[in-house]
Amino acid sequence: MKGINKRHLLTSMMMVFLLFLAAACGGAETEAPAQEEEPAGQVEETAPEETEAEAPAEEEAMEEEAEEPAEEEAMEEEAEPEAPAEEEAMEEEAEEMMEEEERVLIIGHSEVTESYDLAHAFNPTSGIVHRASYDTLVTFPDTDASSIEPNLATSWSVSEDGLSYTFNLRDDVTFANGDPLTADDVVFSFTRLINVQSNPSFLADPIESLEAVDDLTVVINLVEPRPSFLAEMVNSAFSVANDAEVIAAGGTNAEDAASTDGAQEFLDQNSVGTGPYILESWTPQEETVLVRNPGYWGESPYFDRIIIVNIPEAATQQVALESGDIDLATDLAPDQVTGLEDDPNITVFRGQDRWTHFVLMNRDPEIGGPVSDPNVALAIRYALDYQGYTDLWTGSVTPGSNMWIGIAGAFGPDQAFERDLDRARDLLTEAGYPDGFEIELSYPDFTFGGINLSTNAQKIQADLAEVGITVSLRPGEVQVSLEEYRNGEQGFAYWFWGPDILDPVDFLSFLPGGKVAGERTNWTEDMIDEDTLALIAQAGSETDPEVRAEIFEQLQVYAQENGAYAPFNVPAIQTAFRSDIQGYIWHPEWGLDLAGLSRSN
Amino acid sequence: MSLQIYIIRRILFAIPLILGITVVSFIIANAVPADPINANLPQNALNDPELVAAFRERWGLDKSPVEQYFIYLGNLLQGDLGVSIKTKNPILEDIQQFLPATIELATVSIVVGLTMGISFGVVSAVWRNSIIDYLVRIFALIGVSFPVFLLALIGLTVFHAELGWVAGPGRLSFLVDDPPQVTGWFTIDSLLAGEWETFWDALSHLILPSLVLGSFVSGIIARITRSSLLEELNADYIRTARSKGLHERVVIVKHALSNALIPVVTIIGLLYGNLLAGAVLTESIFAWPGLGRYVFRASTSQDFPAIMGVSMLIALIYVAVNFLVDILYYFLDPRIRLK
Repeated sequence: MKGINKRHLLTSMMMVFLLFLAAACGGAETEAPAQEEEPAGQVEETAPEETEAEAPAEEEAMEEEAEEPAEEEAMEEEAEPEAPAEEEAMEEEAEEMMEEEERVLIIGHSEVTESYDLAHAFNPTSGIVHRASYDTLVTFPDTDASSIEPNLATSWSVSEDGLSYTFNLRDDVTFANGDPLTADDVVFSFTRLINVQSNPSFLADPIESLEAVDDLTVVINLVEPRPSFLAEMVNSAFSVANDAEVIAAGGTNAEDAASTDGAQEFLDQNSVGTGPYILESWTPQEETVLVRNPGYWGESPYFDRIIIVNIPEAATQQVALESGDIDLATDLAPDQVTGLEDDPNITVFRGQDRWTHFVLMNRDPEIGGPVSDPNVALAIRYALDYQGYTDLWTGSVTPGSNMWIGIAGAFGPDQAFERDLDRARDLLTEAGYPDGFEIELSYPDFTFGGINLSTNAQKIQADLAEVGITVSLRPGEVQVSLEEYRNGEQGFAYWFWGPDILDPVDFLSFLPGGKVAGERTNWTEDMIDEDTLALIAQAGSETDPEVRAEIFEQLQVYAQENGAYAPFNVPAIQTAFRSDIQGYIWHPEWGLDLAGLSRSN
Repeated sequence: MSLQIYIIRRILFAIPLILGITVVSFIIANAVPADPINANLPQNALNDPELVAAFRERWGLDKSPVEQYFIYLGNLLQGDLGVSIKTKNPILEDIQQFLPATIELATVSIVVGLTMGISFGVVSAVWRNSIIDYLVRIFALIGVSFPVFLLALIGLTVFHAELGWVAGPGRLSFLVDDPPQVTGWFTIDSLLAGEWETFWDALSHLILPSLVLGSFVSGIIARITRSSLLEELNADYIRTARSKGLHERVVIVKHALSNALIPVVTIIGLLYGNLLAGAVLTESIFAWPGLGRYVFRASTSQDFPAIMGVSMLIALIYVAVNFLVDILYYFLDPRIRLK
């Protein structure tokens, strides 16, 4: 070994050093070989360009002085990150000219959808894309679900018996391909939704029949009166597609559409709607591309092209946002957002997310044990440290009931419980547990919407220890725990709920006769008094808004006193975007309204 | 035994192995106490017995597990992996979409890892107990034990977001179009199409993930190379070679290293299989649209056909790679007898 001469030793040492440097800090390795071999050109050429395009501070600084051009230059550099070869320069220039005109928005998003076909898709991602590329007959205001607003329908009327809805359509709407919107398109779209019998089809269950009275009038007859029907029709599944295009793609609305409809493949890649954007392409798990609909009947949106890139990992979304790869990140966790607040290039948005976190107490004594006693349930509602959860999760609030606080009439923080340990102890004594008891808390062990359920479970454990209840935690794999929960096998559990319909009737799930109460808590109709039963029945059919409001208030008070749940926290949704992006609004129904976004100069 | 007979025997042995894999993956998929219904139908649809029954019938979930297994096996023999519950596409089509990205990343990573690992191992063994040796051993330890997802995040933050030296998440910059698909490797396809910019962009996006995955590989390889080379360097034939007056470089590279690399070859097969199957986290962090993410989504939604299909595929690749490795021995070391 001593035989190796010094020259070799030196070169080898240097090589080792370079390699080690490379290994220790990743990127350097490519630079080392790059300097001797072909890639040199690439590394040297791209590096300065990329830094320019991606250095947010500089971009911002420039924007303040120079106007639009600076902005678009930066955009275009992202599009063409490498310096073009000389012979191609001419071609490239022509391309760049075109791209200079184009306003592009890039969104980092964790894609959750298997389809973009209105009759099949039923997911957050498809909701965003459908909102951009199709229209519904009626809609909600920009930020909440407080009223029903016109959209493709200018007006509507409900028959006396609450069974028949008549919609009058706008006469100035055309589909992206130029065809005019007619009542037949509406009837076709909704019957296809019903007959394809896929994921969102149940939404149309209330519909008995549909009829196009004339070109611009549609009548929808319901199976039974349903006060929440208009709110349900805001769901993007009730978007209107161009019947001619769907049929041309092999689609059908016939009764056997479940087996004969063949339009899904086409509709996954193309939109046939009246919305501000057109679906240009979808590469599953990679990206969705939307382009502006030049013939849109409403106000033309700002961006010409929107690319929704699938970045499943929140941490990666953050890096991509900070480096300027994307303009907007949809799935950041609370702690990430806190870290981003100091960055001048990034704006943080917080709104009420649509999930209510609650503790469930099974009413079946065999399953729930001590917590099946309504007094114990009430004691637990008094024992939870509500303020502690809002402190734990920035931007979250305490709900007053299991009706999501964005729904008209829901009990908010003002009507919520406040911790009262003495009251809790008294109630426990009354129920025969002066020294408390031991119980297992089941919950799915995962992080949802940035909320780590395990953290909350530990806090529940600590809260209840103060009144003598010894909780042992029983975390479960999500699907496994979900199965137990849905089968009503969990006695004492921690779950969360998002409304299926942004209407007060959604709350009926948590009362006897409803799904969560009946199937998951075994809190059944025979356990409550006649008056409350009658009230619940009336809540499901009453159409007068004032009477409804009063009924739902009474029911929420009833649930606070007697319910099998302890709703304790409604977390915030958080989004962050580059500070030059404007018009961001989060909506509990469709999430993100792409057409409202623009870029400041 | 001749090579041909050996190959045929190995292929025959692979058949029960693969059958075993189908049984095991089927049992595991079915043993999970969760119902695909819950994972794939929206909550309200669960209340509709008709929809639930239609779903069960459509996916054959109304049949007994044994019956399901044999239907699956029958289809498999005809080269049909079935249809994914989640994406509604034939599994083969899905795999065709996602596999090339994974293979490209895994292959580049193994090349990076091998290059680094063997170089480190050699210098470490040659300068045994020197500073360099210690540094390499520390590196190898870090490479093996440092969590890959953390390394990936640090790499992205430092070298992409802060320094801007390498490209970030994804296989291409978000505004660059995919090259026309031939092999599914963006680097090769872009070259075939003569799209140089796309090629550099694809290459730039490969650097970080392949270094991250490669660092793990190189850690292992460096350790094996080092110990195996040290052993060889003490062997009699090396002393003979030296005493013949051969140049030390020739002694190390030609004589010692070529023998020392045999255990490395063994481990490559295993590591490559690991890279294919275990890239879930790396693919997720780098937004790499590969098989890892596909199978992760399949497992969270109880998409049995997809889980089984991918398990089968990875098992097959595993078997194939290790088979190749065994054949490689035959050429590397004439002393190795095929049994």
